[in-house]
Amino acid sequence: MTAGPVSGRCLCGAIRYAYEGDVNWAGHCHCETCRRQCAAPVTSFFGVDNDRFRWTAGRPAAYASSEGVERLFCGVCGAPMAYRSAQFDHEIHLYAATLDDPSAFEPTAHFFHGERLSWLHLSDDLKKNEVGGL
Amino acid sequence: MSDMLKGRCLCGDVRFEVEPPIMRCVNCHCESCRRACSAPMASYFGAPDGQWRWTRGAPKSFESSPGVQRRFCGRCGAPLSFRSATLSDVIHFYTASLDDPEALTPTSHFFYSEKLPWLHVGDELPKYEGNGA
Repeated sequence: MTAGPVSGRCLCGAIRYAYEGDVNWAGHCHCETCRRQCAAPVTSFFGVDNDRFRWTAGRPAAYASSEGVERLFCGVCGAPMAYRSAQFDHEIHLYAATLDDPSAFEPTAHFFHGERLSWLHLSDDLKKNEVGGL
Repeated sequence: MSDMLKGRCLCGDVRFEVEPPIMRCVNCHCESCRRACSAPMASYFGAPDGQWRWTRGAPKSFESSPGVQRRFCGRCGAPLSFRSATLSDVIHFYTASLDDPEALTPTSHFFYSEKLPWLHVGDELPKYEGNGA
């Protein structure tokens, strides 16, 4: 992804964000929790340092899916917006599909590939991590 | 009934069940589904009214475009369903919400013309530019 500012939004537009600079990492996640938050077979996300990220319209609602983990979503339309974890407290994790231009996303890896759904067939050559990690 | 398809949101506050047979199960690449789920692709299946019910909780509702109602859990935000006035007696649930998301297998891709360039689909399923109609 090119240097910022890069912007994104929820489905209804009540929540908007922007960040500057490069992403820390970008990839697909197959873990069950991400799949259930997004109600999707796979989600794609990226990390941005907190000090280069800001909400530019509205503020998302938060759900603590486990201790130290917050999943943020739009309270108006429900669109999943972000993931925050005490384990990665320097950055916010954002969903590629919320970008104003999602086609610019450049995933480099799969995470929790061991949890992928059997009927999801992707054919890329990206690194496949059985669990988390880059 | 043991053959009911059961599903839930992330936190479990909202639950549903569907009595088979379902209508088709498909993957969808349209921008509206992608933005509703914040995911590169959605997968959903249709259930005729009378064959499904909410078994716990009540989802919130959002009209994403005229006649299109999208429901989600107000506590955890997880998308749960959508229905359109053009197919007014059918609700669509997301396959990934099922207690067993492998209980159904998608049989085609809808709105493949809107597929994101970095999602490399490797299956041999029929791929329609629109909704296959």
